Amino acid sequence: MQFGIFSVSDVTTDPTTGHTPDDTERVRDMLTIARHADEAGLDVFATGEHHNPPFVASSPTTMLGYLAGVTKHITLSTATTLITTNDPVRLAEEYAMLQVVSDGRMDLMMGRGNTGPVYPWFGQDIRQGIPLAVENYALLRRLWTEDVVDWEGKFRTALQGFTSTPRPLDGVPPFVWHGSIRSPEIAEQAAFYGDGFLHNNIFWPMHHTRQMVRFYRQRFEHYGHGRADQAIVGLGGQVFMRKRSQDAWNEFRPYFDEAPVYGHGPSMEDFTRETPLTVGSPQQVIDRYASFVDEVGYYQRQLFLVDHAGLPLKTVLEQIDLLGEEVVPELRKIVEAKRPADDVPLNPPTHAERVTAARAAGEAGATHVGDTADPYTGTVAEGTQPSATSTARTTQQEARA
Amino acid sequence: MTTPFTPAGAGGERTLAVVSAGLSQPSSTRLLADRLADATVRELEDAGYTVRVETIELRDLAHAVVDAMLTRFPTGDLARALETVTGADGLIAVSPVFTTSYSGLFKSFWDVVDPDSLTGMPVLLGATGGTARHSLALEYAVRPLFTYLRADVVPTSVFAATDDWAASADPSTGSGGPDVGGLPKRISRAGRELAARMSHRENEGPVDPFAATPSFTELLGGS
Repeated sequence: MQFGIFSVSDVTTDPTTGHTPDDTERVRDMLTIARHADEAGLDVFATGEHHNPPFVASSPTTMLGYLAGVTKHITLSTATTLITTNDPVRLAEEYAMLQVVSDGRMDLMMGRGNTGPVYPWFGQDIRQGIPLAVENYALLRRLWTEDVVDWEGKFRTALQGFTSTPRPLDGVPPFVWHGSIRSPEIAEQAAFYGDGFLHNNIFWPMHHTRQMVRFYRQRFEHYGHGRADQAIVGLGGQVFMRKRSQDAWNEFRPYFDEAPVYGHGPSMEDFTRETPLTVGSPQQVIDRYASFVDEVGYYQRQLFLVDHAGLPLKTVLEQIDLLGEEVVPELRKIVEAKRPADDVPLNPPTHAERVTAARAAGEAGATHVGDTADPYTGTVAEGTQPSATSTARTTQQEARA
Repeated sequence: MTTPFTPAGAGGERTLAVVSAGLSQPSSTRLLADRLADATVRELEDAGYTVRVETIELRDLAHAVVDAMLTRFPTGDLARALETVTGADGLIAVSPVFTTSYSGLFKSFWDVVDPDSLTGMPVLLGATGGTARHSLALEYAVRPLFTYLRADVVPTSVFAATDDWAASADPSTGSGGPDVGGLPKRISRAGRELAARMSHRENEGPVDPFAATPSFTELLGGS
């Protein structure tokens, strides 16, 4: 199982000191946090995408592209990429670029977003949220898997003879997750394509998470991608730890009480009981999160929210150290022992595994589209004539093989 | 006079949910809610039904209602109360009138109910206030709320002013027409109307959001 952190990139005043970082400080803190997670041996760093204050993460691929250069092992991802209001053509281009830049050390998670005005700001209608997610993602996939795309839909101007560049690394697109809290339609979408499904349950009771994951697993099997227990599942989470449980409670409570989402609402006692938020010792976090496998079946990615609600950078880095040193090694041992069968994926697929599978299935695409004909459609990129020899599949792919 | 209603198929069981938003204890809002429930039960029992009454005092759920507004999910007793309300065969909803309208707690409770879950629900409305000058709050504020939720609201809603609790039950002392009598008479008429609707409708339970999810082929086709 992969363990990582995800950030919503909120700029929040530290209620204990009154300090509010400016946008530059917050962005730099996020970069430090991601590098620290890499050094601490965590598997994933994922950034949110927001287009309104108090959030700073508006340009995920810029941030992740930089991180690809300064980190070594960690998988860079998103939580989430707005499939509804971003142009799918730009998503295809930006994330293929990130895939190349990071040498495949990335994936991404589609989401619809939770901020109503973002739709009109980007020229869309929030009532079309699900249809936008469906159509835009269908186009995004075609742009990654087909060299030359003729396309017409409801929400975007038509495309004739369009080629998205760079072509995906080794001709194999990034692995995609779909994140949803309440919409079974999105679980259905993930299942249809055989993509991953992450239920971001950080503010929700486990019985709801269980229902959503079960539905995704059933539909994954229905669409013939494997057994239900082989579907690729991720969960969200939220922790605050100190060696002594009571220290964790005392230190975190002012941040909880003032937190942007749930502050001034339920008590920390209620919220830790009803949601995955766990405040306590590393052992208490291990015990709580080890039980989630029993609720939703073995899953492949566990993300934690640790940098939010005005927590100072130093504290966040200490949380990452506790995760890396004390929680993850033990938790991984416990949950991986609960994997029901050897053919249940241990982790989400890596780029290398996807390339191997795609080549075995003869599905790896071209890594360059130029003045050569598309091997499937016979069409060519804009303005060029078909050429007799197809060299589309030479290049990096064969150079590596 | 209203003709006594004859049930289509007498017999069977019905669940009546009663929601009272009174804040004091004891409260006249709860008193009115209980009277309305008694009248409805009496009618249903006369028609051969067995009735289970589930009474919910919003006062006990006040903190949980605010928590649910902030977290977007109900827990504990509130979650059970919402199941009771949306799973009932009929509903009595009674609020005190505060500052020209239903109380904030009353409105907040309906704000955390799934807006599709009361479609077709037979509902009897009641309200309490200091004087009869507030009585139309039922018609301009409370009734539109339930109309928006596509509930089946009975024509008679019952307002009880403080003085009503001392008024004569004798219709001849009432004014305004043959059907406008004292509070007990209005309660009986309202209970009869709700019972008639409840005898014709049994709650089929909540829609399963997963069973109702369109297949991906349908989603693609609809995009």
